Amino acid sequence: MGTRDDEYDYLFKVVLIGDSGVGKSNLLSRFTRNEFNLESKSTIGVEFATRSIVVDNKTIKAQIWDTAGQERYRAITSAYYRGAVGALLVYDIAKHLTYENVERWLRELRDHADQNIVIMLVGNKSDLRHLRAVPTDEAKTFAERNGLSFIETSALDSTNVETAFQNILTEIYRIVSQKQIRDPPEGDVIRPSNVEPIDVKPTVTSEVRKQCCQ
Amino acid sequence: MEQNHENSFWKSSIKAVPGRPSPKKDIKIMNNRGKGASTSSSASFENYQQSVNDAWTISEDELTKEYRILSDDPKLLIRRSSQNSSRTHKNPQQIAVVHKTSSSTSANSINLTNNITLSNTANINNNIESNQTDETNYREENEHQQKPSNSSSSNERSIEYGSLRQRFNSYPGRPQLLKFSSMTLKDDAESKLEKFSAILEADLLNLKALKELSWSGAPRKMRAVVWRLLSGYLPTSLERRNSVLERKRIDYHNLVKQYFYVESRDEAQQDTFRQIHIDVPRMNPHVPLFQQKLVQEMFERILFIWAIRHPASGYVQGINDLVTPFFIVFLQEQVGVDKVLETYRFEDLPIEQRNIIEADSFWCISKFLDSIQDNYIFAQLGIQEKVNQLKELIQRIDVTLHKHLQSHGVDYLQFSFRWMNNLLTRELPLYCTIRLWDTYLAESDGFAVFQLYVCAAFLLHWREQLLQENDFQGLMLLLQNLPTHHWLDSHISVLVAEAFRLKFTYADAPKHLEVKS
Repeated sequence: MGTRDDEYDYLFKVVLIGDSGVGKSNLLSRFTRNEFNLESKSTIGVEFATRSIVVDNKTIKAQIWDTAGQERYRAITSAYYRGAVGALLVYDIAKHLTYENVERWLRELRDHADQNIVIMLVGNKSDLRHLRAVPTDEAKTFAERNGLSFIETSALDSTNVETAFQNILTEIYRIVSQKQIRDPPEGDVIRPSNVEPIDVKPTVTSEVRKQCCQ
Repeated sequence: MEQNHENSFWKSSIKAVPGRPSPKKDIKIMNNRGKGASTSSSASFENYQQSVNDAWTISEDELTKEYRILSDDPKLLIRRSSQNSSRTHKNPQQIAVVHKTSSSTSANSINLTNNITLSNTANINNNIESNQTDETNYREENEHQQKPSNSSSSNERSIEYGSLRQRFNSYPGRPQLLKFSSMTLKDDAESKLEKFSAILEADLLNLKALKELSWSGAPRKMRAVVWRLLSGYLPTSLERRNSVLERKRIDYHNLVKQYFYVESRDEAQQDTFRQIHIDVPRMNPHVPLFQQKLVQEMFERILFIWAIRHPASGYVQGINDLVTPFFIVFLQEQVGVDKVLETYRFEDLPIEQRNIIEADSFWCISKFLDSIQDNYIFAQLGIQEKVNQLKELIQRIDVTLHKHLQSHGVDYLQFSFRWMNNLLTRELPLYCTIRLWDTYLAESDGFAVFQLYVCAAFLLHWREQLLQENDFQGLMLLLQNLPTHHWLDSHISVLVAEAFRLKFTYADAPKHLEVKS
């Protein structure tokens, strides 16, 4: 927060997707402004916010696109998947249907996003313990099977919100920085070798700072 | 979940999506748009410019300062605006006569060329003064709050900028309602009321005259009736109005019984209701009126029944916000113009009156949405088309701004989608939206085309601030959080005046929406 726009080493575009009402906008406002609104207006189309974090002494700036959850908006919102290197796929742990729809969202990503996009499954509203409809283990198993990271968060009481963003940004950073060292990117720890490397160029608007200036 | 991959819950993805494309048809609709543009000649526009020179002897500096960003030629714009906000002729008959003589295709160009000669300068002065008072008050308040530490020459800019930044932190992406009621109640001058009365009480409504008059804002006392008439909900014949109202209200009541209180809903209907049920409680989160169960249930019924009856689009997030102005206007009518609505207890209103508000809101929003249905069909093609038109328009009007946005990677869809989808309701305080809708409802050829020019004028209004932002982030944050929280009705008058000017200037140009390079 408060980092000037030109002072960063990496710029990563991340999208927030998932069913309507699962708390995407509140995750974003909790992460970027440390705010939460119990009732926040529905997102129309997409909304944009940003925050920088530091990993390995490198400043990583996250450009986060919050999207509308209603199916009708998919045609519009999927345009924003282009150039995204990360996606937080959010469901509501108290509403099983939003978890069931995770597969549909994954298919959206497969159809519209870069195939190397790093995806994190996020079970939000973990504060609603008494209303839990999706067991943690079930979601965790599902995530593992599909090669996704997984975390449960609560935008309301802040649990794990910071960690979720930190983790996905760090994961993206590791992949990107390893790619810079190794060329060609064989033995990629995350992805099989028959896929193209993550292309971060569309979102990087300034050159990576010279290493000697660290 | 994975085991289900091939069957079960994927089935919902092949279910019929309301309005799934019949692309040809949609494109045809859109191609037809923009063709019906005004054909008024530029000669009459010049006449207009000359004819209103004298109206601008006062307060120009003040207003120019306030609206300095709006136009390359602010004088012209403000002239137009004052003319709009002061259609206060002594004799209402005169208007009708004047308009009957005109055969131009654009009702608004009629305003331009003819009304001027009738302008009542005294009233113009009054209006402007009252607006100024409000704005001055606001400025004082603002300065008091912000206390700039150094007031150098770039002071004003930096104050604005500071408050902007502050605002990003407090309400990012979500402009808040301040008050429902505009502070400009006193604008409803007696002469204006008289003119509206005369039109409304005629046996056969002169709809054209009503549109002319309402384009510059309807008086709050009569707004509910005016909106019913302008939206086409009420008939022009005075004696039929009551019977139509009665019948329509019963009709709505029956629709509720037929569609809402049913034993079971099919899957699509359940989806629709679920979405509405999620959206309604968070429409105006900090306004007590909207947190009341009775109010929320009313919105749910209105939206659900509208969605069921409009399968081509179904319910789309944002339509809920479009019901709000009608609801507020009809509620205000029932409780009286002086009542504060934000904290009003809806249950205090007798059920008969609540039913009237609900039925009238339903029929009016139905009429209102008829002209913009392609905004809400599958893939929202209507909006995508309009966003493209906006881009082409700005490219023509202000290439500097256009290039500035482009060079920083800002895509028009990223910010103007919401403007189009919600008709600026998310960008403006509610009372400004209501004032804006006076004009929309009064637009002779429907507001769908005019809205494009309003969006263009709205974007151009912020050009100076936008040009000062020199990165993508700054531009996007500004565009998503445009500081309209202090706007008054007078700002809307200027905005629609500028939109009118743009439409007048560019809609006639045959290639104005063609893609350039």
